[in-house]
Amino acid sequence: MDIIRYRNNVWGEEVILGVSWDLLWVVAVTAFLLLAAHAIFMAALAKKKAKPSSEGKRVNRHDAIDRAFHWIMAGSVLTLIFTGISPIVGIRISWLNIHWIAGLILTFVVIFHTIRALFWQDFKSMLLGPNDFKEPFDESVKPGKYSFEQKGMHWAMTVLVIAVIATGLTLFTHIDSPWWERPSVDNEGTLGIFFLLHGTATLALIAFTAIHIYFALRPEKRFYTRSMVTGWISEAEMKENHDPSKWKAE
Amino acid sequence: MSSHDNMPEMSLYQPVQVEDAIGIATELAGRGWLVGGGQDTYGWLKDRAKTADALIDLKGIESMRGIKETADGIEIGALVTLTEITRDPIIKERYSLLAQAAGRVASPQIRNVGTLAGNVSQDVRCWYYRRGLNCYRAGGNLCYADTPEGMNREHAIFNASRCVAVTPSDTGPALVALEAQMVIQNASGQRVVPAEDFFIGPNLDIRHTTILRPGDILTAVRIPAKWANATFYFEKVADRNAWDFALVSISAAMRVNNGVIEDSRIMVGAVQATPRRLTSVEQAIRGKPRNESTANSLGNLASSDANPLNYNHFKMPLMDNLVKRAVRGQA
Repeated sequence: MDIIRYRNNVWGEEVILGVSWDLLWVVAVTAFLLLAAHAIFMAALAKKKAKPSSEGKRVNRHDAIDRAFHWIMAGSVLTLIFTGISPIVGIRISWLNIHWIAGLILTFVVIFHTIRALFWQDFKSMLLGPNDFKEPFDESVKPGKYSFEQKGMHWAMTVLVIAVIATGLTLFTHIDSPWWERPSVDNEGTLGIFFLLHGTATLALIAFTAIHIYFALRPEKRFYTRSMVTGWISEAEMKENHDPSKWKAE
Repeated sequence: MSSHDNMPEMSLYQPVQVEDAIGIATELAGRGWLVGGGQDTYGWLKDRAKTADALIDLKGIESMRGIKETADGIEIGALVTLTEITRDPIIKERYSLLAQAAGRVASPQIRNVGTLAGNVSQDVRCWYYRRGLNCYRAGGNLCYADTPEGMNREHAIFNASRCVAVTPSDTGPALVALEAQMVIQNASGQRVVPAEDFFIGPNLDIRHTTILRPGDILTAVRIPAKWANATFYFEKVADRNAWDFALVSISAAMRVNNGVIEDSRIMVGAVQATPRRLTSVEQAIRGKPRNESTANSLGNLASSDANPLNYNHFKMPLMDNLVKRAVRGQA
């Protein structure tokens, strides 16, 4: 199994073509096995805790505009993944235009989110500090608005999404679009490196997206998913999972 | 790229039953190479631009030969040669469009061995690709033809998606005009696909020109009676009158009653990766007399949404003029 694909360029020199798509199957199988193992562990061995009630007083967790951002981003990422891997796995769809349009939508919503998070939201609530790393090992330590896992997932997705956007926009300039015509490629090796980075980031994004969806569907986490639809969690859910002194909820 | 007089070393299978050929093709999958007349195959292999572990020679399969009448038209075996098509009395009488198209393929020697299935399944003729460069179609990251310096005189003016190669088939557009059905067999059974859906562009699959996948064998082509004895027009413009691929070709089938065009299917070849159907032209001429005036009224309707490359703008007026000639009925 190869990690990187190589080809000869027009001068007969070996250059990088991109990441080996054998790794797509490695990522898919590994993610499936790990998540299945986690599901089995949680079902068989993990301590069962009573779920806090979703009734009673409600606490606002996500504003409508942030929920809209999340779902637009989710839709565009899933579209990008599907259209990106469809030609690799042999699904014949006219994928390219959908792919770059979804990529532009993702770029715009990420820029929007970044500006909003920096100036209108509590940016510090998403920062990882030394105390956050105690959470997984000490049940008495409860998080503020976002848990250690949520912050970790957010920053992992941030890095990966920025990586796919940066490399994707570069590759976008090498195909015909409504605004420009495809330029000549001076260096096939450099282009190959961008394909390699784009492909590698995509593989990691697929893995993290699978993990994210899995945890969003887990019974004990489902109230977070509900809050991403409705905006609220109950006060009981908040007190069970968060430290009110660290999260000044509305 | 070096060219060789000898073939590379590979296994050779010579099945005599379709089922055996399917079994071998399924087992070998992408490592096997189906060969009929071999006119596209041998160039690839001798140039070492493509390789295969094994050739699956279909020529011994009798059931894939012959032209027979059916309840609704005719069925042409996939291994029927282009010369046989040009000489078959039923095709000449009822579907002369196909006979004319087959008669303009390459040279008499090639037509004597080249098959109908091979002509519709052949790979594109972009020389960057044929030379073995690692372009998009070859699995690479770029197109050498669609660049400011690229030599793209023969390439696409419509529907390019990264790759700008065109369909080289002369019979493909004729078959789509005749609403032919492609009979495809594989290990799962048989399926029949309209010729219009048989050809696929680079937007759907940049590595293939047809819907055939490893393990699929095109075993026959059925032509329904719908367009039998219709009014046909075929013309191919190429740099040479023989042994050359089309710069633009036109295949038109029309139902003309008392000089009025009641219905038509007009296809153009060599302007995109698949035969291009001119539905706007078909609509524009429906109910109109088949004459010079109707032809002239089309203007540049056929090429109006073309997106030519640096060196193939000439295909636009060429295509418009071929459409006018087809509609007025004379060259």
